[in-house]
Amino acid sequence: MRHAIRATILLLAGQVGLAMAAESPASGTSIENAFRGALQDRSSKTSDEALFVEKCSMCHRQMGMGTVSLARRVPSERAMLEKRTDLTVDFVKVIARRGLTNMPRISRVEVDDAQLDRIARYLAKGTSP
Amino acid sequence: MTPTQTQAFQAFASAVGKQWVLSQEEDRAAYSDHFAADEEKHRPLGAVAPASTEEVREIVRIANRFKVPLWPISRGKNFGYGGAAPVQKGSVVLDLSRMKRIQVDQENGTVLVEPGVGFFDLYDHLQKNRIPLWLSVPGNSWGSVAGNALDRGVGYTSYGDHSARICGLEVVLPDGDLVRTGMGAMADSPAWTLYRNGFGPGWDSMFCQSNFGVVTQLGLWLMPEPEAVIGCDYEFDKPEDLGWVIDAMMPLRRDGLIQQSPSIGNWLRSAAVMTTRNEWAPDKGPLDEKAISAIRKRFNIGWWSVQVRFYGHLDVVESSMRVLERAFAGRPVLDRKPARWVRGDAPEGSPLSGVPVSFPLANANWHGGRGGHIGYSPVLPPRGDLAMDQFRRTHALYAKYGMDYHASFAMGERSLTNVNQLLYNKDDPAMMARVDAMFRELVADASAHRYGEYRTHIEYMDLVASSYDFNRNALRRLNQRVKDALDPNGIIAPGKSGIWPKGRRA
Repeated sequence: MRHAIRATILLLAGQVGLAMAAESPASGTSIENAFRGALQDRSSKTSDEALFVEKCSMCHRQMGMGTVSLARRVPSERAMLEKRTDLTVDFVKVIARRGLTNMPRISRVEVDDAQLDRIARYLAKGTSP
Repeated sequence: MTPTQTQAFQAFASAVGKQWVLSQEEDRAAYSDHFAADEEKHRPLGAVAPASTEEVREIVRIANRFKVPLWPISRGKNFGYGGAAPVQKGSVVLDLSRMKRIQVDQENGTVLVEPGVGFFDLYDHLQKNRIPLWLSVPGNSWGSVAGNALDRGVGYTSYGDHSARICGLEVVLPDGDLVRTGMGAMADSPAWTLYRNGFGPGWDSMFCQSNFGVVTQLGLWLMPEPEAVIGCDYEFDKPEDLGWVIDAMMPLRRDGLIQQSPSIGNWLRSAAVMTTRNEWAPDKGPLDEKAISAIRKRFNIGWWSVQVRFYGHLDVVESSMRVLERAFAGRPVLDRKPARWVRGDAPEGSPLSGVPVSFPLANANWHGGRGGHIGYSPVLPPRGDLAMDQFRRTHALYAKYGMDYHASFAMGERSLTNVNQLLYNKDDPAMMARVDAMFRELVADASAHRYGEYRTHIEYMDLVASSYDFNRNALRRLNQRVKDALDPNGIIAPGKSGIWPKGRRA
């Protein structure tokens, strides 16, 4: 049950005296100690992924508000949006514009329609139509 | 929309392009306060999003022409204080989030940012360009670097008093004129972000929590990457520990040993980001001590906890840590979680070393459903007995209104800021009915003790402004005189911090 941040913890193991490092199977979907291991992977391989990182990953990668909140409602492996295989383009667009529980609505200035389309397609890539 | 408003929107569109003028229902919703039970109360008319200072000036001129009030936002993530929503319903949100220029002075450790730059954006910029400067981030780093500093937001490091690190502003005044403060008042000055005062009166703080202009660039000092960060997270077992902890730490805060503003927070501050209430109790009303103990045991947290860090040269921070440990020697510390990072180690990876985060926002999910919170944050003298008294009175009010107590006391150099969160479920009408009455009683309680709040939600700006009552609210009169002189048409953020233009005052 002791999740933290797999990548970060592996990276940090033995480094900065993180007492929790050894006990973490971990995926960055829940928090055991708010003052350790909050570093996100901000990397990207494509321009669409880079757009997701710029606009969404602050909440939807490791230890983001969205990831943490989702992990309370769905199995933790489905809390990380980029690992999902059930997201459709339309669903992503509707949620981004209307918000969901604690997720605020995303304005057309913050993410314009063309950008949202690219992000939605990036997230729906693993989904069979 | 009235014919005048329609004309104003047409003029906005010709200034910034049709795509960046938003007035559909969907847009009005996007700029409303999503934490509010009744979003209508502060619903904007629409939004306009310029890409440059020149476009901001043109929008301000148009707003004057049509007498349309603007509500400037940097990125609109001021959650708990109203988000992107205006005080005055029907204002047009002036969304500056497209303005994202970053200019770093690496040698001197400063940055000049436009309002659209978020903490994650600046973090990515520094990482990508391998610039050894660290951020001070707030708990919600999704928001704007400039906006947070201008609203006097705080962070975790020794640069955490963000408004105190502002050095130089560029401001569009309410008539469309453009001014730069400090050394920036001299064209092409190389010292704009280096020397705060300039010549003559200084104006930077005039544009904090105010409605006297639209800040389009902000200079900010950043911490040079330290050689080491050393510190400790301390956990304390009993509510009564609050007093002695503050009295033990404040001398070290005052004499400069502790450079950050350590914040001692209760179990719920920690727990609300890690779990939800319904995992611990099926019923409503404040959690009992048994449930609190179970949560504390599960997450290994105290009734209170505080995180202290020293930043700087290894020799110095190791010595500082020894002095702090002496202050705690023989005291009832429940648990210590040491932290140590030295340059060359893998990133320490927490907001205490400037890593931007959003997970603290998960506390809005404490009750499940569509949650939210509102902050109540009076400022006290930094004494343990006063803090204990404040804690007891506030705790009793939380109990009276059936809410879970969520509080922290941040130790400034000469003050304590007691930040309380009212965590709520906006789908619980009975709870929402209590929240408003509770907030008003909290403010009344603080006022009775002559404590004022450092910041507040858009719904309560008049209430809090009224509590600053020396000489029949002389400060408000001064603010109004300035407002009338700079903004005779009252078009910039009417009602911000309780400052209303002529003709719209209660």
